[in-house]
Amino acid sequence: MDSQFLVSLTLIVASFGLYIGIAVYNRARQTSEFFVAGRGVPAIYNGMAIGADWMSAASFIGLAGTVMVLGYDGLAYIMGWTGGYLLLTFLLAPQLRKYGRYTVPEFIGDRFQSKTALVIAAIATILISFTYSIGQLAGSGVVIGRLFEVDAKIGVMIGVVIIAIYATFGGMKGITWTQVAQYVILILAYLIPVIFMSLQITNNPIPWLSYGNVVSELGALDRELGISEYFAPFDTASKWQFMALMFSLMAGTAGLPHVIVRFYTVSTMKAARWSGAWALLFIGLLYLSAPAYAAFSRFILMKQVAGSPIDSLPAWTEKWVNTGLLKMADTSGDGILQWKEIAISNDIVVMATPEIANLGIFVIGLVAAGAMAAALSTAGGLLIAISSSFSHDIYYRIINPSATERKRMSVARWSILIATVVAGIVALNPPGVITQIVAWAFALASGTFFPALILGVWWKRANAPGVIAGMIVGLLVTLTYIFLAKFGGFTILGIIDTGAGVFGAGSAFLTNVIVSLSTKPPSQKLQDEVMDLRYPEQLSYKDGEVWKDDKVI
Amino acid sequence: MKKIDKKIADAYFHARVRLIAVLLVIWFIVSFGMVLFAETLAQYTFNGFPLHYFMGAQGSIIVFILLLFVNAYISDRIDEKYNLVERKSKPAKGQSFQS
Repeated sequence: MDSQFLVSLTLIVASFGLYIGIAVYNRARQTSEFFVAGRGVPAIYNGMAIGADWMSAASFIGLAGTVMVLGYDGLAYIMGWTGGYLLLTFLLAPQLRKYGRYTVPEFIGDRFQSKTALVIAAIATILISFTYSIGQLAGSGVVIGRLFEVDAKIGVMIGVVIIAIYATFGGMKGITWTQVAQYVILILAYLIPVIFMSLQITNNPIPWLSYGNVVSELGALDRELGISEYFAPFDTASKWQFMALMFSLMAGTAGLPHVIVRFYTVSTMKAARWSGAWALLFIGLLYLSAPAYAAFSRFILMKQVAGSPIDSLPAWTEKWVNTGLLKMADTSGDGILQWKEIAISNDIVVMATPEIANLGIFVIGLVAAGAMAAALSTAGGLLIAISSSFSHDIYYRIINPSATERKRMSVARWSILIATVVAGIVALNPPGVITQIVAWAFALASGTFFPALILGVWWKRANAPGVIAGMIVGLLVTLTYIFLAKFGGFTILGIIDTGAGVFGAGSAFLTNVIVSLSTKPPSQKLQDEVMDLRYPEQLSYKDGEVWKDDKVI
Repeated sequence: MKKIDKKIADAYFHARVRLIAVLLVIWFIVSFGMVLFAETLAQYTFNGFPLHYFMGAQGSIIVFILLLFVNAYISDRIDEKYNLVERKSKPAKGQSFQS
């Protein structure tokens, strides 16, 4: 046991002790609190909670590495995952809040007055959240496995136990305040290494201002090596793939069940708008730093690691080479390690860079603690979404409407536990790299929920057959395209599996509109309910007249 | 409950829709627009960055954040103008209250 192990372990245990302590302290007592935390969370903290929910293993562990490997093309993730918040805040959040249903499937079920639509939406929620949480658990496995120098599979199992404990007993109230603590830890864990590297390389403590010149210098280094420049656009994929992926991530963000539910946790629409703005500011801090992280990592690898003699590489290389995620072979046989002879996996860049740059054991341990917070906090939100879809939408509304609150609580807790364990089993052998798995979840959300929600709140003519057909077609098209592109080599305009959502969303919009128009319009009552969504929360629309509620809401 | 003129309610709705439309046009230009013209932007440099890279890595994100704050601010002003400021329910002393 070396000192690095002890420092990292202490930091992770201390931070998780903090989260679990908060969760236990706030242990939910009532069902309504369990799901939306009693609607009493101030906007700025809710913004941090959204941030922690949002910044997953894909953002924290995978993103900088993806940008480093893909160059400009990796920025589709940065723009997509931030730009989607605008669609969500402008086009969906106010209406969904006013409609006042706890979950997205419940909204779809009531808006279209259809149990079939409700069940399809609940299944889609479970499918999306489940896919997403596989990525998170796989990420936690990589971190724990590397840290304790155990197999990643054992790492996944440890992650499953931790997440199951606090998601099952904390509920969302616990998680809202837990998320605030997690946000603070993970943003510090991300910024500190970037700032240190910025000082090391550019003597400027503000990475966002300093790394532009590093990017240009990387391009110059690439030109010397005769490879395409780091920042060259559309080098690894077509322009269409860039835009399809960006669209898919944006529309997926707007349709992600565990993010939408956060807009219910504040008491007024005004507070919801400000939470959304704060959330993107807090999220943006990490997203603005990821390309800097990527540039500094690549710069250090090119200048300090490449070019050194193959038989005197620094100590950190061996540990990472042993994980199989880093390959360094002197293929040219000149005794010198060349840049082209280094093959580094996207998923280890954030974890390995503090070691490469020699930032000290405390920073390395902090990054590990932050990575765990990122993986497990998002998994927490996702598992709550799975559990409420199952216990509330499928169990309570369809299977057993006379269930007592106690019974529903117990179903909610059991479904969290079962979902965690099953996701953990799949994560033992993940079907792709973290960012890829997460991009599939977003593609599924953009193919099913995005069209259903947009048409549901903005178009009163959209009806039950339309939304049912739309969601089924969107789901099938997205799934089929992902499988064909990944395993069948089939692509349109160079769009690969991660950009599948654009076809899913397109076909779902089209199907929804055509089927809605060729079937009976929804009842006057439902159309009035959609008209009602035009007005703010204290106005209500009835029989062509608008009424204002002067009482407190 | 009191009835209010539907024209006023609709004026409120249209003010909100106009605001959203303007903000989404800007959103589209700084995201998809910047990608469509990436090759052209690549010829310019900003703060050491090739311009297309700067937009993707920083420019667009900063504009997105600003748009959300602008929306929150202007929406509050619209609410005030139409006298629709929401009041938070505050439980009275000694009374348990659930919203």
